Amino acid sequence: MLTDVELGPYVVEGRTPEAAVFPGSIDEVRGVIEVAGSAGVPVAAWGGGTAAAVGTPSRRGGLVLGLARMARLVEHEPGDLTATAEAGFTIAALQSALRRHGQWLSLDPAEPERATLGGVIAANASGPRRHLYGTARDLLIGVTVVTGEGAIVRGGGKVVKNVAGYDLPKLFVGSYGTLGIIVEVTVKLRPVPDDERLVAVRFERVKDAGAAARAVMGSDLIPSALDLLDAESSRALGLGPTPALVIGFDGLPEQVAWQCEELGRLVAPFGGQSPTTLEPEMWPRLAAAPRAAFESPMALMRLTVLPATVAETIEQGTNAARQRGLVSAWSAHAGVGVLTAALFSPRQQSEPGPIAAVLAEWRSMARAAGGHANLVWAPLAVKAEVPVWDDAGAAGRIMARIKAELDPLNILNPGRFVAGV
Amino acid sequence: MAPLTDTRKRELRRELEAIVGQGAVLSDPDELLVYESDGLTLFRALADFVVFPTTAEHVAAVVRLAHREELPFVARGAGTGLSGGCLPAEGGIVISLMRMNRVLEVDYDNQIAVVEPGLVNLHLSWAVGPQGYYFAPDPSSQQACTIGGNVANNSGGPHTLKYGVTVNHVLGLEVVMPDGEIVWLGGRTREALGYDLAGVFVGSEGTFGIATKIVVRLLRKPQAVKTVLAVFDRIEQASAAVSAVIARGLVPAAVEMIDQLTIQAVEDAFGCGYPRDAAAALLVELDGLSRGMEVQTVRIIEACRDSGAREVRTARDETERQLLWKGRKSAFGAYGRVSPAYMVMDGVIPRTKLPYVLSRVNEIVAAHGLRVGNVFHAGDGNLHPNILYDPRIPGEEARVMEAGAAIMKLCAEVGGSISGEHGIGLEKVDFMPFIFSVADLDFMQRLKRAFNPTGRCNPGKIFPTRKSCGEAGPVAYRPHPIEEKGLAQRF
Repeated sequence: MLTDVELGPYVVEGRTPEAAVFPGSIDEVRGVIEVAGSAGVPVAAWGGGTAAAVGTPSRRGGLVLGLARMARLVEHEPGDLTATAEAGFTIAALQSALRRHGQWLSLDPAEPERATLGGVIAANASGPRRHLYGTARDLLIGVTVVTGEGAIVRGGGKVVKNVAGYDLPKLFVGSYGTLGIIVEVTVKLRPVPDDERLVAVRFERVKDAGAAARAVMGSDLIPSALDLLDAESSRALGLGPTPALVIGFDGLPEQVAWQCEELGRLVAPFGGQSPTTLEPEMWPRLAAAPRAAFESPMALMRLTVLPATVAETIEQGTNAARQRGLVSAWSAHAGVGVLTAALFSPRQQSEPGPIAAVLAEWRSMARAAGGHANLVWAPLAVKAEVPVWDDAGAAGRIMARIKAELDPLNILNPGRFVAGV
Repeated sequence: MAPLTDTRKRELRRELEAIVGQGAVLSDPDELLVYESDGLTLFRALADFVVFPTTAEHVAAVVRLAHREELPFVARGAGTGLSGGCLPAEGGIVISLMRMNRVLEVDYDNQIAVVEPGLVNLHLSWAVGPQGYYFAPDPSSQQACTIGGNVANNSGGPHTLKYGVTVNHVLGLEVVMPDGEIVWLGGRTREALGYDLAGVFVGSEGTFGIATKIVVRLLRKPQAVKTVLAVFDRIEQASAAVSAVIARGLVPAAVEMIDQLTIQAVEDAFGCGYPRDAAAALLVELDGLSRGMEVQTVRIIEACRDSGAREVRTARDETERQLLWKGRKSAFGAYGRVSPAYMVMDGVIPRTKLPYVLSRVNEIVAAHGLRVGNVFHAGDGNLHPNILYDPRIPGEEARVMEAGAAIMKLCAEVGGSISGEHGIGLEKVDFMPFIFSVADLDFMQRLKRAFNPTGRCNPGKIFPTRKSCGEAGPVAYRPHPIEEKGLAQRF
């Protein structure tokens, strides 16, 4: 247990928690929750802290419940292509344990050395390979949680196909610690492909890159990743001063080679340069490209739109920022329609007005395209003007009912998430 | 609940007709009989009304009426379910979605389609096939079952080994909530806002509301497909081959196993080219790029040979491939050749436990004086032991039920599950405690309350109830009308 100055690493948005505790077992987690529940102290689960600042700012410091001591690989049966681990196990540690058996968890969130399994599931974090392999929702087959009332609940199971009872794993993916403390998870695995290659194709304009991405989507190619970077993000990764598509292929060496060749043919009509191979170290840097484009971004937003509208969204969003004297950097998982945008003020102005105005405009763009947009990070002054989460409408009322039923004491990250849950 | 008086029933019928129109309400007991069970004929119950809405507003109005009258209601698709999930409570309203069967929109640029719940699964793949796309979930009943039913049960199929089950292909749903409100859960985009309500709705067996529009992902048809048949003299060799395929780092699209009893039944019925004297056969399918297909096929063949296959061959052409699949997919119908009745079980085990569990299943069934045929999704450990019996022999049905319960317990003991794709429905409510604790079940009940606080939307399903067994009483198997017409097979 940590108190006072030791709490430094757990300060979020200037708010210091009342204490941080690090239980070592599921029973200890339950004990902590029971104490917190009876004292009415809010509890925030903490894995690697990579998404700790995501969400509506909390009204009260509360208790940080760290999972760092619960970091064991419980079970890995290679023949079953499944693994069970405690929630505090990091993604990197899991991948290296699995790799010894030629397997991997096909999920590649940013900061794998810090990000934990439980945290990645709670925040629904993913990376470029989601294009082919999906997200936590497609890979999580079992979950054990401690509820806000101290009950230990298991959902799903340890087998890859299972329809017994409600699909609780789906409920916990992306629930940001508001429905239960994830303490143990079981995931589906895949064999490590024989070969993998990441290539970049440069384009004159974002629009051309978007059209090329659609051509790839409609082709026989089976890329593992299909990211679109605008000029700013591209430059931040050292890929040159123009927009680019960054595309991953895996499989047998002959499949990878054939797809790279075919890609060259597919992108040429859109003015795409011939594909250049990137170092594998580039993979984990892709997600962070927009934020790396500027020394100190003013805000980060994540937009979800229909995949075919990605390029248009980037162009509109860039203009919206420019009109207010701001600049932006964009990256997108072009095949799934998920974008990340960073906003920056070249004149170092920090008044929240214009920033909030651009973010609100980006949000209405996403909504007009049938999607939504959430703030990933912004200063408190900006968060005060732009709600972190988009409006979930009627579905938000169901979310609120779920929260009220499953966490009746309202002590798990209260008010942090969508619809005030 | 007291039964409706005849007068009240007439009044309600008129009111329902005012909502859905003349000719879209059934209340005559003879007509209602068709809707008294699904593909699992062990359980039957009669509704007061069956209605056939054509719009979400119809569904919402019917649900509000049910709400006002405190009548239970349940959605129904093609009725091919195998767990009694769409059975009415005694009385109440069955809401048939069979007239809401349109493909509303196909958006190839975004690789999605918006469909109505009564659309037959295969009809979607037919609609988008000419453009090079298909809908991946492929339950064996896909010629008859509906996408709404697939959503309710989170249906699988042979190719879910590589492509996932229904939930992996559903992005959003328009739902009539149990109080009659029309709400979107998820949407058209690949990621939803807030809790994954679409994700938990899929597989909730009709207890969270009634889907009236479904947004699904479409996949590009693979460039190439290769199907391998491996024949074994011992069933353990076939089980070992499943592990060997996985150990070689291969992810086939499907790995199906068929045992001797089933092979013989299939050959008697259809003559699909499976060797009658084999103890077991594996049907392994690879799909993807043309490049590398040969190399992967060789790896599959080697894995099977190294596990002791006496014969391994690849389908020469599409005709032979279709014939092999026909054998697999019509196995359930073929049991009619060797037994007057059978009960299909659906359990899941970790793949590595296959040899042990298969031999235990055979022991359990033999100890009950019965025979079993196995045809199942070996690649993901999803067993379908089919216990053969004769309902005319007194006491045999009871032994089938006992053996079935013992098999479910076995699946649970080895770390598996009591359903891989058929759902809990009414059939397995009493097996839920095999794999879930009181706390787990309580948590699920609370989740149900958030969607369905009155419990009137498909009551009596999924959760153990004291009155769940005995009341309906097991009834002899007889082919369902849609089976007799050849529209569906037991799977």
